[in-house]
Amino acid sequence: MIKKVSRRPKAIIDTVWTHALLIVISIIFFFPVLWLVMASFSKTGSIYDFKGFFPSEYSLNTYKLLFSDTQMYDYPNWLANTLFVAIGSCCISTILVILTAYTMSRFRFRMRKPIMKTTLVLSMFPSFMGMTAVYLIMVNFNLINNLWSLILVYSAGAPMGYLVQKGYFDTISNSIYEAARIDGATNPVIFTKVTLPLSGPILVYTALTSFAWPWSDFILPNLLLKNRDLWTVAVGLTHMGETEFSRFAAGAIFIAVPIVTLYFCLSKFLVAGVSDGAVKG
Amino acid sequence: MLRVSYNKISGFIIITFLLVGAIVFLNGCGKSESNAETGASSDGGEITLRILENDTAKSQGYLDELLNAFNEAYADEGITAVDANMEEYSNLAENGPYGYGPDVIYQANDQIMTYAEDKHILALNVEDYECYDQIPQEAWDAFKIQVDGKDYYCGVPVNVQEPMLFYRADMLPENWESEWDDDGNGTPDFLENWNDLYALSNVIVNEGTGKYGFVASMNDLYMMAEYIFSYGGYVFGTDADGNVNSEDIGFNQGDAATGMLAFKQFAALMGEECIDDSVKTSRYSNVANGTYFASVSTPDTYVLFHERLVEQYQSEGMSAEDAEKAANDNLMMVELPGLMPANGDLSTDSNSTEFIQTKVMGGVNGYAISAYTEHKEACQKFIDFATSYDCMKLRADMLGIAPTRADVAAELGGVTDSIFNSLNEGNIYLMPSVKAVDQIWDPMQTLLSDVAKDAFRAQNGETEKYTDVSSMQEALDNAAKSIYDAIYTLAN
Repeated sequence: MIKKVSRRPKAIIDTVWTHALLIVISIIFFFPVLWLVMASFSKTGSIYDFKGFFPSEYSLNTYKLLFSDTQMYDYPNWLANTLFVAIGSCCISTILVILTAYTMSRFRFRMRKPIMKTTLVLSMFPSFMGMTAVYLIMVNFNLINNLWSLILVYSAGAPMGYLVQKGYFDTISNSIYEAARIDGATNPVIFTKVTLPLSGPILVYTALTSFAWPWSDFILPNLLLKNRDLWTVAVGLTHMGETEFSRFAAGAIFIAVPIVTLYFCLSKFLVAGVSDGAVKG
Repeated sequence: MLRVSYNKISGFIIITFLLVGAIVFLNGCGKSESNAETGASSDGGEITLRILENDTAKSQGYLDELLNAFNEAYADEGITAVDANMEEYSNLAENGPYGYGPDVIYQANDQIMTYAEDKHILALNVEDYECYDQIPQEAWDAFKIQVDGKDYYCGVPVNVQEPMLFYRADMLPENWESEWDDDGNGTPDFLENWNDLYALSNVIVNEGTGKYGFVASMNDLYMMAEYIFSYGGYVFGTDADGNVNSEDIGFNQGDAATGMLAFKQFAALMGEECIDDSVKTSRYSNVANGTYFASVSTPDTYVLFHERLVEQYQSEGMSAEDAEKAANDNLMMVELPGLMPANGDLSTDSNSTEFIQTKVMGGVNGYAISAYTEHKEACQKFIDFATSYDCMKLRADMLGIAPTRADVAAELGGVTDSIFNSLNEGNIYLMPSVKAVDQIWDPMQTLLSDVAKDAFRAQNGETEKYTDVSSMQEALDNAAKSIYDAIYTLAN
């Protein structure tokens, strides 16, 4: 009884302190986002008409303009281009990364270790180091001003980041594969009927990360896309005029909507783990 | 449980693939490879020219008008001009050699001549153009380059750019005719000399309403060069043959230090936001809402001031039509005051001050032909068409620019004509058309920013750096040396 009484104030203080700290940290991180959201509803569109931190008048006009006033800033088209590149890269990259990781995890072949070491070293260099070479290659392939050039570059570079997926496949028990092998399953069958059903979370993780990178990348699209009607959202937003701040803010907010939706829709797949299958098996 | 989860993922992947397929079919394939090359599309002898115009011309609809008119006029010859659809300042040197640049570009003379020095631009027979006789030699010279002792022209001048003063006529002091028009010429004195503009700014600031008089981004060399050029400073000198000599850097010449003291004096009345670039963005709305009585910008930004003023009037309750009319009537764009104090002291009474002529930095925007075009003759026809009387007048009417054609300037009259005359009279110092100009901006911006900041150091408890002519001269000398080093040491 005495113990309970003495613990309670300590627990309360601990809870209050933890929550207060979390709230402060949340505000620090949330405030810039809130500010951008409020700025996107600014009636005048100018950052200099704000009353303190926030706009003096609010309106939905910026969002209307974002999708209707397309003469100079064709945001719907930029969004479609971004979606095309992100989905294309996501699909191809996911397949390539999963195949690479599975191969490195399950098979033993002569150059396996050197390839793993080489990819590890190469993946440590920042991707923009090779931009000049990428530009010249794309010029020679006549792929400048072509959205497929982005998909090609993103997809080609994606398997370099296979280590996380390999780590996941390494955790799948070897006995499952041996059982399948005894039942007469071939390698493709083992991959499609055994491995993939157990790999839901890593598939979703790979797809999300493969989607998110092209979705927000600026350097590569800015290098390879010259025509305005081929720009992605990231490139288009940076070319907005100096007086178009609220439109910039609205564009930046709206670009987050699809990816946030995707995260919410797919998050439930992330929690379904390999343990489910292993227990059943 | 496992089967359900896997089925869901499989379904998602299948749907995603179908979605990608649909998008590829509908969106991706067709448009990506069109007009990839310079003047690329040639269907049965048809020539397509890609024209790179500035954003204002696009947003105000002038480019569409121009292209439609040209395409109609040259339909029989199979020449079609289209919007290059690129960023207005896209780099010809980067895109041109690989075939992705425009055929015809419209840019400022310093940019075009930078390309010309590296042979990205074709030289023109300027006498062949219909506009040749109508454009003053000063404007043509902005596009002149000398190679092996021979002069070549690489652009056709279209409009003159110089810093202009923007203000609201309905914000003029009520008593301006009695108190601010000493010479009785019907023009407020603060639009004629800098001392009275300073005095008016002082009055407004001292009212304590949070409003300002004249406000500018003081680190902007293009807008603030009058404090140097009017006092004998210059960018580059000339050699014995009259060619630009970039070894002779003139920002520290003449009485430029005296001018910079006047610069610092005015900065003190503008508030600390004048030190950086923020005024460049805020000037449109702050002139519209009356926070600034006046600000400075180039003529092609007239539409931005106008848009903000229309919005301001509408927010005050006017109908859209009335707001448009009121903005047309009240938004004024005039040249900067023509007189600066010879002694560099803006606070003296204008009636007892000896004045000197204001000289501003200017530029000439014009058309040039990419060296990578496959259709030089068609490009020449386009430029000839675009610089005709009708097109130049339409451009001036729609965009508010100051044309280089004498006949159009005379027809339009008013401020357009006065800019044209200033160019003729040498009151606009055109940016030298040499690549070395690229190296002047950063050192001078740093200096201007530091001098503007100096105006606020005392009130912030810091020690002032530029208190007299000698300290200012030393700063100018250092800036000139930095520019020299950038051109002849660091760049090599």
